[in-house]
Amino acid sequence: MSGARVVFDHVWKQFTRGERHDSLRDLVPSMMKRLTRRGRLESPDAFWAVEDVSFEVREGEALGIIGRNGAGKSTILKLLTRILRPTRGSRRLEGRTGALIEIAAGFHPDLTGRENVFLQGAIMGMRRREIAARFDEIVSFAGLERFVDTPVKRYSSGMNARLGFSIAAHFSPDVLIIDEVLAVGDRAFQEKCQERMRRFRSEGVAIVFVSHHLAAVAQLCSQVLLLESGVALKIGTPTEVIAAYCHRPGTERYEHVTVAATLRSSRHIGEVFDVEPGERLKLDVSLDFRVPVERAKIGVVVRDQTRDLYVYGASSDLVGVPPIRAAAGETKHFVFAFDANLTRGLYGIEVNVVDPDRHQFLAVARGIQQFNVVEQVTYDGIANLYLTGSPAGVRAEPVALAR
Amino acid sequence: MRRLQEDFQEIVREQLEFRELLLQMTARDLRLRYKQTIMGFGWAVFTPILNTLVFSVLFMRVAPVHTEVPYPLFAYCGLLIWNFTASSLRFAITSLTSNANLVTKVYFPREIFPLAAVTVSLVDFAIASAVLAGLMIYYQVGVSSALLFLPAVLLVHVAFTTSLALVLAMANLFYRDVKYLFEVILTVWMFASAVVYPVEAVSGTLGQLIRVNPMTAIVEAYRRVILYGAPPEPLSFASVAAFSLIVLPAAWLLFHRSEFRFAESI
Repeated sequence: MSGARVVFDHVWKQFTRGERHDSLRDLVPSMMKRLTRRGRLESPDAFWAVEDVSFEVREGEALGIIGRNGAGKSTILKLLTRILRPTRGSRRLEGRTGALIEIAAGFHPDLTGRENVFLQGAIMGMRRREIAARFDEIVSFAGLERFVDTPVKRYSSGMNARLGFSIAAHFSPDVLIIDEVLAVGDRAFQEKCQERMRRFRSEGVAIVFVSHHLAAVAQLCSQVLLLESGVALKIGTPTEVIAAYCHRPGTERYEHVTVAATLRSSRHIGEVFDVEPGERLKLDVSLDFRVPVERAKIGVVVRDQTRDLYVYGASSDLVGVPPIRAAAGETKHFVFAFDANLTRGLYGIEVNVVDPDRHQFLAVARGIQQFNVVEQVTYDGIANLYLTGSPAGVRAEPVALAR
Repeated sequence: MRRLQEDFQEIVREQLEFRELLLQMTARDLRLRYKQTIMGFGWAVFTPILNTLVFSVLFMRVAPVHTEVPYPLFAYCGLLIWNFTASSLRFAITSLTSNANLVTKVYFPREIFPLAAVTVSLVDFAIASAVLAGLMIYYQVGVSSALLFLPAVLLVHVAFTTSLALVLAMANLFYRDVKYLFEVILTVWMFASAVVYPVEAVSGTLGQLIRVNPMTAIVEAYRRVILYGAPPEPLSFASVAAFSLIVLPAAWLLFHRSEFRFAESI
């Protein structure tokens, strides 16, 4: 394939878990042991951390990698940055590669900020001239002009991270590999980082971005890879992959009640569906009670999936549904409706059942249904407040922007 | 054979690509030493001078030996040379394990670590050499055209030390107790290397063994070239030169081929 800056071709990586011999003292007995039980080629402790993962990133594209802890994200990054070598398959990177993994890894606490900039720059493969030419910019981007000659051990962790990111931000790579750098620094700095990453992309850098910060992934990436236990579950557009990530069994918890829910609008019924802002949505809920209840209530919660924000929550008792009384084994049906007064993005619905007498949730079904708000006009924020406007003094009906 | 060639090409390409990093790493280690210790570069001369005093008392008063030049000069020269090898290796052996954070997080040729250790010691070696020059003036020992052999001797010495540095750094990464074992070996090795006594003073099988030791040949070659105004002894120097120039690429190749396992084993 032409134009691909990063190619990950059916990569497998095996690790060995458990005891390892890292001293000569252990080596001799372990060799004796190996001699006495020969013929076993594959150690029982071996496991695949990455299984048959393939992807490509072209110039100006950004691939996001998401998944839970231990899904193999870091292993993939280490394979990409040549720290690890694949057991099977191959990976190829073209051009200068910059890695923002542990951005301050090369810092030495006893050296000053200035000395560390040159050291870290060299570790990233920058020329001394290049660093010297951009030194002032690097320091001012990090906002550390007053501290360049202070040893890094006196820096706060935020200052450290800022300087680390700033060095990387002034590097001009062809491929950039980023690991969760947004977890550091204050909000203003995080925004600066995101903005810098978008600029990298528009400059034609191929980016691989690993993060738990789904909103940042959705914003930066052109495609997203979802990893689970080392396997690529899904690769596709940010919306569909983030939807798959948020909607997985395992995020649902049924204990005493089994919840089923279906979302409908005037136009369609389905798994993830597209909705206009302000559209009225109906939610059919059926509950199978495994325990008897006296006066349970149903909670309906809407979350912004990419930003993991709690957008709205209400419960059945507030909207006139009488307390639910049910015997074990009984099934009950309910209908709820609400207006999707939201801006563009992926939203998930949580249905929960609460028993006030037991002070506990009988069921929590997170992301049981999802919907995608599609707008003709792009708004920022979460809620659509239906801004209208007209020139003052002109007698005209205000024009609604989006309805 | 193809693979061998490709590997060497890769080694050279990577070293060129990261040539500035070696300098930065060396600078880092020098700065750190200078910052962390009051004496800074004083350490470079302190150890050989102190050792020279100790051995001068021992071999001039307690058990006198005959040397061609005054004993303190003889001993300082030997200790200076030995010190370069010993401190390079001491420093190199933990160079990978003490930089675990970098080894597991960032990629660049890992040879940089042991190479920086050798380079730092080379700086010390240069500083301590100034004291040798001072001693030569004091004892009025002149140099001859044999000094032209010095670069060749230095090259062999550095090549020999570097190959060991690469192997030991790697060995200590895989087996953490190598450094303790090596400390013991280092002490024995110094006394087996004609550093503080002339090799002629030992005869018989023991003398033979000491002569086979590459460090003996290196120390002797330096002394002949610098202090005695004579070219290195052809046979012994040629063998140690051949040995070093074969072992260095072999050690480097071994290191390079194991490199990808470092991050998993550290």
